[in-house]
Amino acid sequence: MKPFANEPTLELRRAPARESLVNALRELEPKLPLSVPVLIGREQGAHEGFESTDPGSPDRVVATAGRATEADAAAAVEAAAAAFPAWRDMGADARAEVLVGAAQILRSRRLELAALQVRECAKPWGEADGDVCEAIDFLEYYAREAVRLEQGPDLLQVPGERNTMRYEPRGVCVVIAPWNFPLAIPTGMTSAALAAGNSVVLKPAEQSPASALALVEALREAGAPPGAISLLPGFGEVGAALVRDPRVHVIAFTGSSAVGLEIVRSSADTPEGQGHVKRVVAEMGGKNAVIVDSDADLDDAVPAIVKSAFVYAGQKCSAASRVLAHEGVADALLERLSGAVNVLIVGQADDFAIDVPPVIESDAQERVLRYAELAASEGRIVGQQAKIPANGWFCPPTLVTDLPPGSAVLRDEIFGPVLAVERVKSIAEACDALERSPFALTGGLFSRNPETVAEVTRRTPVGNLYVNRHITGAMVGRQPFGGNRRSGIGSKAGGPDYLLQFVEPRVVTENTMRHGLVVE
Amino acid sequence: MEDDPGVEAELGQVGRALYGSFPQRSRNPVKALDARAMELASQDAELRAALFRFVDVTPACRSLDDLARHLSGYLSEVDEKPPSLEVAMRMAGTKPGRAALGVAAAGGVRHMAHRFIVGESPRKALPVLRELWEDGAASSVDLLGEATVTEAEADRYAARCAEALDTIAEAAPRWPERPQLEADSLGPLPRANLSVKVSALTPHIRPDAPALGREDASRRMRPLLRKARDLGAHLHIDMESLDALETTMELIFELLDEDEFREGPSAGLVLQAYLRESPNQLDSILAWARETPRTPPLVVRLVKGAYWDHEIVEARQHGWEAPVFEVKAECDRNYEELTRRLLDARPAVRVAVASHNLRSISHAIAYNRYSGAEDRDVELQVLRGLGDELGHALAAQGFRVRVYCPVGDLVAGMAYLVRRLLENTSNESFLHEQAMGVPLEELLAAP
Repeated sequence: MKPFANEPTLELRRAPARESLVNALRELEPKLPLSVPVLIGREQGAHEGFESTDPGSPDRVVATAGRATEADAAAAVEAAAAAFPAWRDMGADARAEVLVGAAQILRSRRLELAALQVRECAKPWGEADGDVCEAIDFLEYYAREAVRLEQGPDLLQVPGERNTMRYEPRGVCVVIAPWNFPLAIPTGMTSAALAAGNSVVLKPAEQSPASALALVEALREAGAPPGAISLLPGFGEVGAALVRDPRVHVIAFTGSSAVGLEIVRSSADTPEGQGHVKRVVAEMGGKNAVIVDSDADLDDAVPAIVKSAFVYAGQKCSAASRVLAHEGVADALLERLSGAVNVLIVGQADDFAIDVPPVIESDAQERVLRYAELAASEGRIVGQQAKIPANGWFCPPTLVTDLPPGSAVLRDEIFGPVLAVERVKSIAEACDALERSPFALTGGLFSRNPETVAEVTRRTPVGNLYVNRHITGAMVGRQPFGGNRRSGIGSKAGGPDYLLQFVEPRVVTENTMRHGLVVE
Repeated sequence: MEDDPGVEAELGQVGRALYGSFPQRSRNPVKALDARAMELASQDAELRAALFRFVDVTPACRSLDDLARHLSGYLSEVDEKPPSLEVAMRMAGTKPGRAALGVAAAGGVRHMAHRFIVGESPRKALPVLRELWEDGAASSVDLLGEATVTEAEADRYAARCAEALDTIAEAAPRWPERPQLEADSLGPLPRANLSVKVSALTPHIRPDAPALGREDASRRMRPLLRKARDLGAHLHIDMESLDALETTMELIFELLDEDEFREGPSAGLVLQAYLRESPNQLDSILAWARETPRTPPLVVRLVKGAYWDHEIVEARQHGWEAPVFEVKAECDRNYEELTRRLLDARPAVRVAVASHNLRSISHAIAYNRYSGAEDRDVELQVLRGLGDELGHALAAQGFRVRVYCPVGDLVAGMAYLVRRLLENTSNESFLHEQAMGVPLEELLAAP
């Protein structure tokens, strides 16, 4: 295999690249709504039960999906357990071939899959294309990682004994995925589990079943046995049933803190007959801050902060929701940020000329508007784009400052286009503020002083610190991604440690001495 | 396409004559910059990075102490420091030392900046513009500024441009007559000349949505075009990185096509020879110019392009094919090919050749002569601070020279300054080669 390289995104500054996407959407539209069945091994279950709709035009049904039941969950785990030994025994090379094959299938469908995200999740074009590329990256990257891991590490050897260490897959892995990266994140968790030799039951978010189906189709078409990858579109109850199932070994989850912590609790149970302790890999929320030092170049900082906070309406776990500005630069920063927020364009995701699309659903819109109101009552709104389309789950991008220290706006993950600016007297004070937060996912720093960069690097607990750039858009292999503290347990997606969570190490030591003879 | 041997012969003569008229010390323009620092910088990449980061941060530092801390922070990342910088590091260890170091360093940066930036405002730049004119060089004023991210900033830049046009156009008629600068075969040439940046006229430059920025910038560009037309000034629309190219080109084509601008002002655009697609761009420019005849004709300024590193990095980070030539000789050959095509396209366009490369300039002059045109039918442009000596040499020999003159304060000027310094110390730079004593024959050799 060639060394890993990130899949190039489309060069959307070129008109033909943009046209290719618009055409793909035009071709997709008559096919909507797509039909997403429950897929359990070779069996096809229900294909009706709920709908996914376009957040920018909620009357438009993007997919109708089967609603998996608790019985389906049990059947899918059964199928996965049955498929596991053969999939494990294929070896890493053969499994890697399947993953690389699936990557090729996604690559050949990339325009259509980006268009699907535009409709299903209101993900803007550039983001949707990036999502598909990231999915391809995960398949290609973990395929190579699994081959590497199969070699096992070198151990110290002394005469008369032979020591070997290898990694074995754990068994059945449940993947519970979010909607905000409707293809990339399910693909990341699923492909890691599969590459390492586990079988998978995938429960996608109810908001984005169609993107998940594309992944399962690609994997199966590329040669994954049906039992090794089942698809259970549905809601919380099916996820909960999967997590409880004693035959499940690993749960890979990305989503909210509340659900993540519930999974941790529920999976800790070891009922009679469960011969293992479940392993949970959870990527949860964030409350991500960007520190702006007094020597920052605001020409860089302002666009980067706006991008970090408002692209995809702030619906990334990595998105910025706080700015901690050194008092020497706070006024100038606030003035420019507010001007930049005032010119944001809110509109439909299929329009290249928008900055902020709608949020995913009605509940999300209500939540964001509630926080925006709270921000207005507790602090001072200094920038807002109130011109938003009437239909669809749109929220005005909002910039707020002068909030009291304990404000929920500064504490909670809002997951929407609301950004709060706070003043600090020093960078040390900014680091203190971050230290107090239970979240530690991403963070940003704008400073041109190498000493400050070193100090903030040393002090911030975040999983991913970005210096002098935007804080979203981690790339597989370049920015292994994941949070610390209550933002996540487990190691970084798209990085060299990730597969270790899906395997267990086994060491064999063989005595090679027999009657004083070394029999090697 | 290759040139006729006659052009090569002429080129050699022109180049030798120009070289001969450089003042002795300035055959080495890098040394002519006060910058011993620059000389050091061109020899060591780490040191260059440290010095440029320092220049870049200077206006944002709150105190001399802060300034000195930054400097020592950057220098501490340089592995092998020349003795003079070891001294600086030691000074940074104490508070009085930092104050002294801060004063010296800030002074150095300010001095350097003043070589490249002619004044803080158009009014303050007037004496330099007049002096240039008297010495036989026209000018184009470029207003430096911070990036435009808000409506207010776009409005402010537009207002500064309008004020600059008023100020220069008001002063220029009092300058003495300089016939070689005031007309070519196609007619009179405006004295007042302003270069503007589309990205500064709108907060909406979006590479994937060029219409957005184009429409927003257009409503601020129209009043400037009207003002330039009414004042008889020239308005030149600069080209920036590839991300703004489609926005910029379409804006120019669309606005100049509007009825009210058919007969003026004199206006121009830029063609960047480092872009692989520049030959195709020239096709569209020429097709447009022939379909949309203007009086006075469109001016095309041919440059190499100043965003090479940016374009390469952006392409590499996204996995895209680099949009620029990565081999200098390819770029130089393309520059000459574009020069020939532009000069051949007259009178549909006027041509300005902007370069500090003695070979490229000599080639343009030689090809122009060889094609039977007068010397005044090609404009030669240099940058203030970098191309001063070349500009003098050209003016002294009666060529039509224009000096690109940035105007603005130190804060606004840093991004420009760093780009210029990078260009000046790059190993591929003509000025660098010239400074390093590469023989004239090599400097004039075909790429």
